[in-house]
Amino acid sequence: MYKKLTLVFAALLCSLSLLAQNLTGGVKGTVVNRVGRTPIAEAQVTVLQQGVVMASIEADQNGRFVIEGLNNGMYDLLVKAAGFVDAHVNVTVEGYVKDMMFLSMVAEQQVEEVDDSSFAEFDLDDSGYSDSPSIIFGSYDIFSNIAGFGFSPIRFKNRGYANETQDVYLSGVKMNDAITGYAPFSLWSGLNEAMRSKESTIGNAASDYGVGGFNGITNFHGNALSVRPGWSFSALTNSALYRLRLMATYASGQLDNGWSFAANVSARIGGNDWVKGVYYRSFAYYLAAEKKFNDQHRLSFSVFAAPGQRGAQNASTQEVYDLMGDNMYNSNWGYQNGKVRNSRVRKTHEPVFIVKYTADPLENLETNLTFLYRTGKNGYTALDWYDAPDPRPDYYRNLPSFFYMDEEGYGKNNYEKFAWAQEMWNPANTQYVNYQHVNWDRLYNVNYNSEDGRSKYIVEERRVDQNDLNLNADFKWRPKDWMTLVGGVGLKYNTTHFFKKVDDLLGGKYYLNIDQFAERDFAGDEIKIQNDLDYFEKHGEAQKLKKGDKYGYNYFANVVNAKVWAHYNYQKDGWDADAALEMGYDQFWRNGIYRKGLFPENSKGKSESARFFTARAKVAGGYTFKGGHRVYANVGFYNDAPTFSQSFVSPRTRNSLIPNLTTSKTLSADINYHWAANGYDIRLTGYWTKMWDMTDLMSFYDDTQHSFTNFAMTGMDIRHMGIELGFKIPFFAKGLSLQGVVAWGEHIYTSNPYMTQTIDNSEKVIFDNQQLPYWKSHPVEYRTVQVDGVEMPDLDINGNPIVAKSQKHYVPSTPQLATSLGFNYRTSSYWFFDLNGQFFANSYLDMNPLYRTEVAVAGPDGKATPAEIEYMAAQEKFKPVFLLNASIGKSWYINRKYNFGFSLNINNMTNNRNVKTGGYEQTRLIKSADTNRYYRFDPKYFYMQGINYMLNVYFRF
Amino acid sequence: MKVIFKTAAVAAVLFSLVSCEEFGPVFTGKYDEPAYQEPVEMEATHSIADLVGTYENGKPYKINEDIIIAGKVSTTDQPGNFYKSLYIQDETGGIEIKIGKNGLYNDYKPGQTLYIKCKDLTIGQYGWKDNPRYGGNGMVQLGTSSTVAKYETSYMESPLIIDQHVFKGKPGEPVVPMVLSENPGPGEYSISELPGKDDTQKTNKFVGSLVTIKGLKYDNQVFVLLYLDSNKDKESADNRIFLSDEKTWGITTWAMSKSKMTEYIQSGLWDAAEIGSGSAAFGTVGEHKGDGTYPDIEKNAYSVSQYFKVGDKSIQVRTSGFCKFADREIDPEVLAGRKTIDVTGIITLYQGNIQFNLLDISGVKVN
Repeated sequence: MYKKLTLVFAALLCSLSLLAQNLTGGVKGTVVNRVGRTPIAEAQVTVLQQGVVMASIEADQNGRFVIEGLNNGMYDLLVKAAGFVDAHVNVTVEGYVKDMMFLSMVAEQQVEEVDDSSFAEFDLDDSGYSDSPSIIFGSYDIFSNIAGFGFSPIRFKNRGYANETQDVYLSGVKMNDAITGYAPFSLWSGLNEAMRSKESTIGNAASDYGVGGFNGITNFHGNALSVRPGWSFSALTNSALYRLRLMATYASGQLDNGWSFAANVSARIGGNDWVKGVYYRSFAYYLAAEKKFNDQHRLSFSVFAAPGQRGAQNASTQEVYDLMGDNMYNSNWGYQNGKVRNSRVRKTHEPVFIVKYTADPLENLETNLTFLYRTGKNGYTALDWYDAPDPRPDYYRNLPSFFYMDEEGYGKNNYEKFAWAQEMWNPANTQYVNYQHVNWDRLYNVNYNSEDGRSKYIVEERRVDQNDLNLNADFKWRPKDWMTLVGGVGLKYNTTHFFKKVDDLLGGKYYLNIDQFAERDFAGDEIKIQNDLDYFEKHGEAQKLKKGDKYGYNYFANVVNAKVWAHYNYQKDGWDADAALEMGYDQFWRNGIYRKGLFPENSKGKSESARFFTARAKVAGGYTFKGGHRVYANVGFYNDAPTFSQSFVSPRTRNSLIPNLTTSKTLSADINYHWAANGYDIRLTGYWTKMWDMTDLMSFYDDTQHSFTNFAMTGMDIRHMGIELGFKIPFFAKGLSLQGVVAWGEHIYTSNPYMTQTIDNSEKVIFDNQQLPYWKSHPVEYRTVQVDGVEMPDLDINGNPIVAKSQKHYVPSTPQLATSLGFNYRTSSYWFFDLNGQFFANSYLDMNPLYRTEVAVAGPDGKATPAEIEYMAAQEKFKPVFLLNASIGKSWYINRKYNFGFSLNINNMTNNRNVKTGGYEQTRLIKSADTNRYYRFDPKYFYMQGINYMLNVYFRF
Repeated sequence: MKVIFKTAAVAAVLFSLVSCEEFGPVFTGKYDEPAYQEPVEMEATHSIADLVGTYENGKPYKINEDIIIAGKVSTTDQPGNFYKSLYIQDETGGIEIKIGKNGLYNDYKPGQTLYIKCKDLTIGQYGWKDNPRYGGNGMVQLGTSSTVAKYETSYMESPLIIDQHVFKGKPGEPVVPMVLSENPGPGEYSISELPGKDDTQKTNKFVGSLVTIKGLKYDNQVFVLLYLDSNKDKESADNRIFLSDEKTWGITTWAMSKSKMTEYIQSGLWDAAEIGSGSAAFGTVGEHKGDGTYPDIEKNAYSVSQYFKVGDKSIQVRTSGFCKFADREIDPEVLAGRKTIDVTGIITLYQGNIQFNLLDISGVKVN
């Protein structure tokens, strides 16, 4: 202490003596929250020189501070504020009061103690659903924090946007799947600790890592230094996904020799309480090293993967759920020798390698060169069968509804068979378990008895093996305190191998590599039924496949993407502005390995390349008022290329691109208000987004054509609009706060897209670029006229009723109204309690375009009556939902070194088991008995799980 | 430190509570292969002829007694000429079991003995026409009750019905066809023993049985029924085209797949065929030629009856357009009447006429 005082005294003496020579100066600035740049009141600002405190001051209510009387020289500026991570800044004093402008601070991860390593953030991805939640939680935004985790069980999509609109970066490299655009969280699922460090923007805001789109950018850092130093162990058990997760993490922090090391491993194993057959046997590893050579050079390496397998869930019709008395029924599994076996298992091992070189040639310039490579295998098993009955237990011909329907029009009136089928689905009768689930014993026995051992049923593995090569160069330049320019170039080269392989012959000796769908149409044609015509011509017969052999389809998708981008940021006198621009070039083509019997001239080798120039442009502006109230707005225009997966008519079989392929355009704007101070945190946003020229593609069996068909839609327009509110308000007692979110939107289809339907086996065009008349809406009310006092429908000159009112059709599979309100209580002894209620409404079922065609609506007689239109074209709206969730947790600090804690949360406490989270309409049609109309097949649904818990125990030091 | 231990203990208890039970059902190792299913053994109470004898024309009924019949599977649906049903036969005759699933040969092997527990099944007849001038018997079959007036039975379809009534016995050698010929050799039968229009399995053992008929001569006649639009009413005259009237209509194949049918119609061979028939005619096929693709007429696979004669007996060889040999050409020498054929298949009756169903193209032997 004495020593310190002496030093201070000495320093003061020095500064006095130097004052005369005008060799003193100072620093000033405003302490702000990094998110929203709102001022942080009463932050403690300390100036140190070689570890010695030279001055210390408290910033005012608006975050402003001035420290004067400092000698010229280099200083450390340390800024501390409650709820924020300490910030260190180097500053050079040169004879005047230097304006640091904004000193931005990062909020302490609010969920840190709560979640620890939290909940199964990335685990929700790809559990059999076609879509995964698109909010990343653990960010610094109040809305995202509450909605991100709290809304994921209901599959809430941020602003209604599809998963692939979210830009996900890793170490500065855009990681969205090159083929589908899908957000790639599953690559690092189970590595929550290693990937905890990330930065996100919301909506149209650009980031330091890229221009991004209209649904935010998140950059996961992924380098060794970004992992929290120390050891960390956690064990998590939950009843919704898997039984147990064990995780261990170590990070060295920066050692004296400039090296940093980090490792994270985990295992996730077991099933859950709700969906039988769903299980995890997943592991994850992450290793990283980083060397800081000096202040100018840094090199880092990271490698990670999440290898493993997991059993998937399947959607069924309500009829099946009702028969089984269980909305969690999963048709994918059955008993094999008394053990549950799932036919649909995802097996992956996709390692990612990152090498990053960072150079800071100037004090205000940082440059990065990043090489990122993703490789490995990604498989998904399924049953495949040849010329044998459909083995899926919930196949429609096995259900009571196939035999009897109350409505006479179906012409299904065999009550006897209905009763038998109903008996078969009686869950109380354990003898019938092999009808209610996959009957593996029968599949094996069919194969055992098959002529010369040819398997009739097999398990196939559909592989999507990526090789994704990325090279990025970027810089961050801060020439002036009030301006920052970031930018870069990125190159991506992706080749993805699509093929099927035999995973299990199920007791048989071989399977034959022929196209059974072609065989249906061209039974006698040996050539046309070949999947691999070259093999057939060489050997005189189709390949007899053994376990592990490729078959069915075999092709590469090649994608090249190049982009150059820049983002300029200006901040001065409370004003801030951004401008960002990205220009890109996308090219992709298919390269067939098989020469297909159906399309010998158009299946092997390279297809025509699709080429697109893309552009993204954004501007933003904001102003921070006194008291920290910030208002800002963003506008963006995006001209994006379609993905490979949207662009080929039938990539399994041939090289044909969809006609009229074009870029999708999006115009999006948002306006926001944000205020965070004194424990308050409020954000209010209004947004509007219009997308047009979107494409979509699907393949299905069309009963009107008696054929498997490809259905391409172009010119699809969508409009998203809504408001978003997130708030946290201190509430009477210390540590108690009221928090909640409201997300209301109206996300609708605004065009009737054009469809081109082709027969898959012949490429014959059935409908060429015709409009889907009932896609964006369908009429619900018609004009009437009074004729002699009698009300009659008003008809146009063609004799069709005149529409008075139409019902809009909505973007599906997310509640368009999602709200949450809850209490959060934290004690000074590190207890926390959280209780929240959620209300969701305006969620819609995904529409199938076939049911919106004139053919399907009008029926075989070609006459579309109002009743037929309402029946066929209407979109199902799900019932509103109320949910109650609670969390409790505590952590202990021992000797300020050891940290031990737990958190427990219980979701869906009212055990609501009737919550539809999504699903899809089947594409089949049933002709009515009088052949005047069609009926739909029942839709298939996914339901949310009932009451479930998650308990996490962790230990850190 | 005490706190840590306490909490650890609590956590351990919690873990053990939640985790013990649920680890069991999830198995991720290598699965053992299931055992071979053991064949069933039963005692037949009735022969097929006995069972058919309980049926009276026009009176399908649900069997109420504990009747068991047994027989060997004589057909296969692998080549596709039999579809969703199979025949079993004993020494008294053969009967169609309307199971109603595709790929039956995977579960029920030719030559395998099946036991049918008939109780709660329905016995009825298909293709029976009660008309003194041109009527006659069809085939007595076993299935479930039908709710459609024109059919006396329906397919079982529902898996539980099938498995509660059709039991798999021992596999065995395929059924050896009985041979019928104009000049029967040893162990052969005379074609005069072929069933007449009022025969059933009760009165004629060849009904529903696997036989070889020798020496069939082409009779220059086909029968095909086409639909303009299969999605529309198939009973409506303006939706039907008959290719019959003692002509071949240029059809030289056993049946026709969709692509073969397209080829036939676009060749113009059928232009003279009428839509509708007789008094209710709606023009001719040729009037719908359009751009040459006959756009108003749906292209589909169709069954064909090719007419043959042996002695004074007329035999229609009826083949499905969905079977694998649908588009096989009949030997031109046969079509020209210069060669005869021997056919192996199932003898059925349709309105008193013999309709012969090949199991496979290997059942046609050109002499």
